[in-house]
Amino acid sequence: MSSVTAAGASDSLSVYLDGDYLRVNLPHLDFLKGKPLERLKDGATVIFSGHLKLSASPNALLPVAQSVASFAVSYDIWEERFSVTKLTQSKEARHTWSHLSAQAAEAICLDNLVIDRGQVPADKDFFVQLELRPDDAKDQLGIIGNPGIDVTRFLIEMFGKPPRSPQERVLYSSGPFRLSDLKRTEVRSTRG
Amino acid sequence: MPRFARLAVIPGLVLASALLLSAESQEFIQQAADTNINRQYMIETVSLAGIEVGQTVPIKLPKRLRERLRSLVGQHYDIAMLEDLSAEIRKELHFRTVTQHLSRGSTPEMVRVNFDVVRRDLFFDISLPKFLYHSKQGFSGEVDASTRLNQNDLEFGVVSNGDDLTERFTGFTARYDSAPFAEIAGSDRMRLGLTFEDYHVEWNQATLAALPGSGLDLYRSRWNAAPELVFNIAPLTVSVGTSFETLESEFAGGPRQSANAGTLDISYRHKIEGNGVQQQIEGRYSLRVATRALGSSYAYARHLISAKYEVKTGRQTIADEFLGGAIDGNAPFFDRFVLGSSSTLQGWDRYQIDPLGGSRVVHNQVTYGYRVGPGTVQGFYDAGMLWQSDRAATLRHSLGCGYKQGVFVMAMAFPVRDGRIEPVFMAGMNY
Repeated sequence: MSSVTAAGASDSLSVYLDGDYLRVNLPHLDFLKGKPLERLKDGATVIFSGHLKLSASPNALLPVAQSVASFAVSYDIWEERFSVTKLTQSKEARHTWSHLSAQAAEAICLDNLVIDRGQVPADKDFFVQLELRPDDAKDQLGIIGNPGIDVTRFLIEMFGKPPRSPQERVLYSSGPFRLSDLKRTEVRSTRG
Repeated sequence: MPRFARLAVIPGLVLASALLLSAESQEFIQQAADTNINRQYMIETVSLAGIEVGQTVPIKLPKRLRERLRSLVGQHYDIAMLEDLSAEIRKELHFRTVTQHLSRGSTPEMVRVNFDVVRRDLFFDISLPKFLYHSKQGFSGEVDASTRLNQNDLEFGVVSNGDDLTERFTGFTARYDSAPFAEIAGSDRMRLGLTFEDYHVEWNQATLAALPGSGLDLYRSRWNAAPELVFNIAPLTVSVGTSFETLESEFAGGPRQSANAGTLDISYRHKIEGNGVQQQIEGRYSLRVATRALGSSYAYARHLISAKYEVKTGRQTIADEFLGGAIDGNAPFFDRFVLGSSSTLQGWDRYQIDPLGGSRVVHNQVTYGYRVGPGTVQGFYDAGMLWQSDRAATLRHSLGCGYKQGVFVMAMAFPVRDGRIEPVFMAGMNY
């Protein structure tokens, strides 16, 4: 079993079965840092997009199965602890975890990226890719307002912004795996 | 593809991309703001560039913005509201960036907010304030470039408008707004404005066919210089000025004419916030008196009054908008009234109503909106009359529905009448 890591990470992505779900694990997941962390400490809410996908080859464009979720993270200025909310279509279905350390907040995001076991190829090798990155929704403010579209700002946002720092994006790939070879753990939770 | 349609492709692409960005970001920002853990804390102080608002602020803040910043004190921390304010401060004061920073207050449960600002070396903005596609009229739009020098605003625009008048006018605009130079009653301000317009005019075949015997003159271009003094006496804004409009005849060797006038514009706006109910009242009266005393070839007085009442509660909005106008004397085409645009008797063809425009107008629009997701589904009913002072008036009706999200609107409307009905489709922004 070979492992490929990116974004300067040295840890390998482990994949296991947890009841009816495929989950991933990273010993040292560390994406709450750099500019997103600065923004959190300034009182902002930072949205992280998570994408876990299974594919037939390491560079396949179309995934065999995937899980996509967005997490709104904020930082309690007095308690110095994090809060994570999984964003959903309806407010009622939202779940929030608070009073978290940075590591616990990161683990919550990872725990909520799961794939149904039924979607995992039963008799074929597959590769796993995990991506976590902060969204730039805040930067889009100011483009559209009552006076219309601010074309200057739109063009700056579209073409003038420096590329995202690699440290702000977590990207891990690993594989190939086979369903029958995956380690199984006791059932922890239902899908987040 | 018509020339203007080709020109409209670029702003169209910008519009489409911006609409996609808007739809995605607005929903996310609002959802994310609701989850911020610091919402539990109260705001103790608000500062701009490190200086507490309320004390002496070196940056000249407009009164309205200063009041909004002050009103944050004692409220719960709301990141969405603060990001809106950051965007407003940036736009109003033309900073490069404005970002809000949160720090602990003097006691637990209290926080302090500071807006950090970065100034621009040179301010220059391009904006697309209005854009419309109308299935019968084609594209109308405007692109503006603006700059600010020592609190004096300069704006240059390119316009093509086939929606507001009987004519399609295409050309350039320039606008100067001085820095406020007088204080009235200690807080309100007066400033000088100066507008230049230079338009080329295209006429519809229906207008040309109806022209003989009407006593009206065609022109191929017109330009206007209009200085005015603007007084802000909250909640009123009053402007008094003059307009020197020159019309170049459509026909070679035809006489150059002018419509030089004194102008008065009074607008009123008031918001009432209640328990879950928001009401907004707007009113406007404008008068334009063209007189030979100013060297005008035309002599007339044009009165236009409009009023709007809107009430919002929960997901629902109801609005009623009325306008009425009258012209005494013989006014040139650009000052005559039109119905059958993207905002009046929607769905009607203006050239079927009156290809020459009218000297009397009455119009009312009732709109009902229901918020669905990030936008609002709307239904509207228009009723209006356009006529000449010496002829009988006919009351016309139209119905339509649409979807509005922020400044973007898509709508379909049709006239209520006998016979074949062709619905009109409209899509655009700020129309």
